[in-house]
This record gives sequence, structure tokens and C-alpha cells, in this order.
Amino acid sequence: MSVFEGFKFRKVSSVIHNLDPRVKFFFVCILFVMAIMFNQFLALVVLFFIPLPFVFMARVNRQWLRSLRGAALLAVFIFATNFIFGYFYPSSSIPHVDGAIDTSMEYFALFERAAAMTLRFVVLIASFSVFFLTTSPDHLGLALQQSHVPYEFCFAFTTAVRFVPVLADEAQTIMDAQKARGLELESGNFIKRVRNYIPILIPLIVNAIRRSLELAEAMESRAWGASDKRTNLYKLNLKRADITMVLITVLMLIIALYIWLFIPVPSLTSLLFT
Amino acid sequence: MAIIETKDLTYTYPGATTPSIQDVSVTINKGDFVILTGPSGCGKTTLCRTFNGLVPHFYNGTLEGEITVSGLKVADHKIHELARHVGLVFQNPENQLFALSVEKDVAFGLENSAMPRDEMRKRVDWALQMAGISELSERPPHELSGGQQQRVAIASVLSMQPDIMVLDEPTSFLDPVGAEKIFKVINELNKKLGITIILVEHRLDLAAKYANKVIVMNEGTVALTGTPREIFTSEKARLIGVGIPKATKLYQHLKRQGVTLKTVPVTTEETANLLLEMLNHD
Ligand SMILES: Nc1ncnc2c1ncn2[C@@H]1O[C@H](COP(=O)(O)OP(=O)(O)OP(=O)(O)O)[C@@H](O)[C@H]1O
Ligand SMILES: [Mg+2]
Repeated sequence: MSVFEGFKFRKVSSVIHNLDPRVKFFFVCILFVMAIMFNQFLALVVLFFIPLPFVFMARVNRQWLRSLRGAALLAVFIFATNFIFGYFYPSSSIPHVDGAIDTSMEYFALFERAAAMTLRFVVLIASFSVFFLTTSPDHLGLALQQSHVPYEFCFAFTTAVRFVPVLADEAQTIMDAQKARGLELESGNFIKRVRNYIPILIPLIVNAIRRSLELAEAMESRAWGASDKRTNLYKLNLKRADITMVLITVLMLIIALYIWLFIPVPSLTSLLFT
Repeated sequence: MAIIETKDLTYTYPGATTPSIQDVSVTINKGDFVILTGPSGCGKTTLCRTFNGLVPHFYNGTLEGEITVSGLKVADHKIHELARHVGLVFQNPENQLFALSVEKDVAFGLENSAMPRDEMRKRVDWALQMAGISELSERPPHELSGGQQQRVAIASVLSMQPDIMVLDEPTSFLDPVGAEKIFKVINELNKKLGITIILVEHRLDLAAKYANKVIVMNEGTVALTGTPREIFTSEKARLIGVGIPKATKLYQHLKRQGVTLKTVPVTTEETANLLLEMLNHD
């Protein structure tokens, strides 16, 4: 699951890691909005480069690349779908195309269009991946809480993150145990293969339920629900770096809005073919 | 002064046909170090759950008889009220730690009780220090060893400064060295802070020397109570299958051979000293 690899937090310290998660989230959301605003290939290329300095500052380039590589398959799929769909339905949504696609310029326009749509997806993955790679789940939970998300949700979130590796280990153990008893996972047709997983799922679910009961018991024993005004050991404070980051983000948005309103972004096709 | 007092306590889990504990009457005094032992399934865990109200409030079922803990009638108080007085440490360290850092886990109970941040910080650092894990404060609990995790669990109930700490087989997932460390920590809490300890344990060889009282349960009832020396030399305890320490077994063996030591030892060191004394005397 290499896509998830890119979303796994590792404890390191850098300017980016230490930023307030709310600020980082704001940045990522603005990037998201910008990726939706523009559908021109050139604009999306520019957007793709925006998270890069942050990746290098946080020194997470390797994991970041891995998450992009993990998303490659999906990207190819998006490209293919767009290309094929555009070929059969060359509507006016593809610029420079009138009627069926037969000239090289029209092929190029179709290609550019599909590439832009794919790039939009890549920009989203790239920016969200930076966010998750540099934000500890603890901080994220805290940010949710300070954004007035009910504590139960925040707790469920951090607990889920904490137990993912535990459950993954457990699944592996059960899988090994069942294989040792002669269970074959990789045989038969699709339906058979899905059914092969039942002897793994059942112990996994039973264990998870038992575990959650024990957890509930431990929570109760530590005064869960004692007060409506729960406090928190940590508190997020906006620092100077955070404010700088907010300013950069807002500036980015203003520039993007200006371009969107007043400057038509040229397409590659129009640059090359006219 | 009694800190826990039960009278004819009987409890049946919902859906069960027979009670898991029956007519249990025990008195535990403030500052006691009690070992609760007995064969598997005899109701030790169930009894522990009555001390902080998990039984009956969390498990439902029917509770009869009376139980008072730190002056509070368990039936009339919520679990979180009782949690201020009684801390429970469970068998599996993995399933009682839920935060992503050790100090956050230790703070959990205090956060629930809405303690102000500055005070909480002090309490957390204090509890970590008492449990000897200050240097682990920022580590994720699930990356620690079983013994370290169990000490985090102890710190996380200790931070609430309870009067009583109940530990249900806290060392069954640990090796003897890890177990010994846990017992030492518990003993310090008992001797230095005066926290009343109730320790459920099978491995009495390591734990017996710290206790001043042993309760033996069998099939849902209290079979024996007394000092470690009384219990370990009683015939009934042997028949129930209590894990009598080797030192005491040796004492009894020697006695049958006509050699009577001056006192009943529960640890190897004690036995060695008694034997040396005897040999020098002859
Ligand atoms: N949640 C539950 N629901 C129903 N019955 C239970 C539950 N927990 C325990 N019991 C039953 O209550 C009885 C006493 O169990 P308990 O867990 O208290 O024993 P124990 O002395 O702690 O045993 P062990 O040494 O194995 O931990 C057992 O017969 C058990 O089956
Ligand atoms: Mg038990």
C-alpha cells in the first residue's frame, strides 16, 4: 500500500513540522481550491511546483516521492479515462476542437486536456501528502479539538491512528497462522479468493471487538466523561512562522484570483499550433 | 481504618446463570499491600471490577450486598467519581494505552477531570518520575516494551493520585526481570506514598515479600485471608493450588524432616539467613 506510505507520519523536527496544523491545513485547502479553479495545463504545472519548497524544507522528499509513485497507477487511469472519453465525446469543453478528433492539433489538445485533469489529481495528492507527512496525528487531533470539533470525534481519530499498526500486525499474525494450517489465499477465481479471506476476517473482527471492550473499560477507569469542560495537556499557539505562512497563503490566493479574473492562461496547444 | 469494605457481595454477569462472586466479605485497610490470588476463573478480576464500579455500572448485571470504597457506596456513585479514588491497571498493557505519546496517556485522566494545564503538567511529570519513565515521555506507547508500557499504565492512574491502586495481573505478559521492576515500583508507591495496593498475582515468589495481607479466592468465594506467612503454611491454600513461594515450601519440607526454622520465610534471602543463623548456632 504505497499510497498510504506517503501519508504516514514520522517524527522529525523542521520548520514545516512545527507549523500549526491548522495553518498547514489552510494552505493545503487553498491549494486545493486553486487546483479546482484552473483547468489549464500550464497553470496546473505551476501549482504542482508550489508544494516543492515545503517538501525540501521538511526533508520528506523520499516519502513524498513514494506517495506520488503510489498514486501513479490511479493517475494513469484518470489520464486514460479522460483521453478515451474525450476522444468519443469531443465536446466544446476541449478547446481548439471542432467536430471529430482527426488533426494532430486536435489530438494534442485532447492530450493536453487529459494531462491537465491528471495533473489536477497529482497536485491534490502532492499537497495533502505534504500535510500528512509533516503533521503528527496528535497535533491533528489537537487542531480538530481547538476547531471545536466534538472531543469524541478527535479521540476516535487519534485512537484509530494509534491502532492501525496494531491491527495490521494482528492481521499478519492471523494470516500466517491460517496459512500454517493450510489456508490458501492465492488460489481460485475472484469469488473464491474473496472467500479465502473469511477465516482471516473473522478472528480479526472478534479480536477488534474484544480489544475495544477492554479499551472502553480502561477509559472508564480513567474518569472518561467526568467533566464537560475537558482540558488538554497541549495547546496550539500561533507563532510568527505560522503567521508568515498564513500571509504567504493569502497572497497566493490573491494572485490566483487576479490571474483567474483578468489574465487568460494560454493553452500549450494554442502556443504550439498558432 | 478500612478503606474498602464489602459485605456479602454477590454479582452475576448479565446472561450468566451462576454468580461469578458470591458472599464476598473482605476488609482492606488504608496502606495495606494486599495480594489477591486463586485459581483461574475464581472471580478475582470480577472482584477488582467492583472496586471502581465497572461492576455493576459498566457491565450491568445484578449486584447484591454492600461495598464501600473510600467512604463511597459503589452502587450510588459513577465510575468517574470512583476513579478519583481507585486506579485500575489491567493485564494487557496494549489495550489500556490509547494516546500517541506517553505523557498524553498519563494526562488522560486529568484532562477528563478538567484540571488546569499548569497543574496537569506538574502532575504528569511527577507521575512519570515516580514510575521511573521520565525519559520516555514523548515516545509513542505502542513502540515501548511490555514492561515499559505497564509502567506507563501505572503512571497514568498514579497521576490521578488515587487512594487505592488495583493491579490485575500486571506482569503476566512480562519476563521475571520486568515483573520484578513493576513490583518494586508498586512497593514504592505503597511505602512512600501510602497508597493502598491490591495486586492480583499468581507468581507469589516475587511479589509475596511486599505484601502484608493475602486473600485467596476459590470458585467465587473468599477461601482464606491472612498474613502471607499464615496463608503460605496453611494446608487449605496448598489444596486450592495457591502458588506458594519456594522459600516457604522449603521451610515446610525441612520441618517435616525435623528441622524447624525460627520464622516462616517467604523469600530466598530470608531462608538463606535463617539457615546460616541455624548453622552458626550449632
Ligand atoms: N464479561 C463477562 N461476562 C460474563 N461472564 C464473565 C465475564 N467476565 C468473567 N466472567 C465469568 O466470571 C467468572 C470469574 O471470572 P474472572 O475473570 O473474574 O476470573 P479470574 O479469577 O480473574 O480468572 P483469571 O485468573 O483467569 O483472570 C468466570 O466464570 C468467567 O467466565
Ligand atoms: Mg482475571
